[in-house]
Amino acid sequence: MAAPTATASLNATSYAPGAQMLLTVTYSDPDTKALTVTVVVTDAQGNSSAPVKVSAVIDPLTITVTDDSGRTWTRVSDSGTVAVYRAVA
Amino acid sequence: MPRVTVTVRDSGGQTATATANYTITPPVLGGYYLSGGADPTTDMAGGNFRSLTQYRSFADGYVFPGYNQSWLVTLGRSGVRVNMVLELKHYGASDAGPQTFTVDGVRYTVPAPAMTIQQRPGTVWPKAYGYSQVLAGQCDGLLARALSQYRTMGFGVNIQLASELDTDHEFGTTEAGKAYTWAESDVRAVQAVIYIVNWFRAKALPQGTTFSVGLGGFDRACYQRTHPEALMTRLDFLQWNVYATSPTDTALARFRRTKDWAVADLGPVALSRPVLVAEWGVRVAEFPDQPAWIATVPPAIAQLNAERGPIIARTNYFNSGWGTLSPKATGLAALRAAYARPPYA
Repeated sequence: MAAPTATASLNATSYAPGAQMLLTVTYSDPDTKALTVTVVVTDAQGNSSAPVKVSAVIDPLTITVTDDSGRTWTRVSDSGTVAVYRAVA
Repeated sequence: MPRVTVTVRDSGGQTATATANYTITPPVLGGYYLSGGADPTTDMAGGNFRSLTQYRSFADGYVFPGYNQSWLVTLGRSGVRVNMVLELKHYGASDAGPQTFTVDGVRYTVPAPAMTIQQRPGTVWPKAYGYSQVLAGQCDGLLARALSQYRTMGFGVNIQLASELDTDHEFGTTEAGKAYTWAESDVRAVQAVIYIVNWFRAKALPQGTTFSVGLGGFDRACYQRTHPEALMTRLDFLQWNVYATSPTDTALARFRRTKDWAVADLGPVALSRPVLVAEWGVRVAEFPDQPAWIATVPPAIAQLNAERGPIIARTNYFNSGWGTLSPKATGLAALRAAYARPPYA
């Protein structure tokens, strides 16, 4: 099983008090795969149900953001490979 | 330095960690000046006023703290950061002749001021000690007198040399009968300011002493001429003044004008210095609702400080002249409210 990778970058290195801070996290894992399971039930007479689709992720990733100054980072967006968080300076 | 840590964990418990460091700039110091150099203690009480501008002439026998201005010592010792504008312009002394006085047992004679400045047509041109007089050492007694008084204060101040060199030089200057253009006056002033700062820095100074040079900041070429790197290595702040006197003036535009010129024109040493806005104000004639304009200042400063370039560190409201708060009570309330918000608090 492969290990995940992550990078973190801020939109600035210095902030005035009260300013919005944006953190961009880029992450991935070679094992992570999104898949869709489609189920069709067919009886002995050959009648089939409508297909039902279920999504699943193999080896899903969780992101944790901590700040040693106690700031709270709130997720703004997450594409599955890039997540953006926001805090107040 | 605060650090944000990102941990990405997969279902098997394997993790990847990334970090990013950042800094939070200290709060901007909200400040004040009260017309006539009057005692501002009552106006500042109860508000987040942490900075103060004062004006003195080197000609005045009472530079620090100023005649009957013991309140300045009280404010300074309580932590208010004082910007002392010391001017070669002659005022505060009984006459404009030579002065003889004793400082710490040393007798000094300083000649009469030989320069004229602020030569606006149709006005009486004020006298000032001349840049050549400074460079010749003829004004050392004035510097010694100011330093001796400064040492009794018990706290460090920023010494801003000149109030606005651009205003002083805009219509040229004369010294000892010779006329100098605006540009020539700027170059001469820079040499005199270097002389004065070198003179002070060679002495024992109260802890926390800093220096800057004063500009209105309304002329780009003058701002560039008066901020060579050779001077800026000796100074601790950039400085300019900010006024809203046209109905379309926004706080962001007014505070950023000189900053943008500085970023485009000045060298790396100059741009490494924080900015001390010794005066800012909004004129009631164009902005009857002064509180509304004042309320737009905190976000403007926050935005400018989030951008590239020098950080605005102190902004002192000029409750006099163009900045006169009218009515005073509502203007002061607006200032208090502004200084209670980020980036001031």
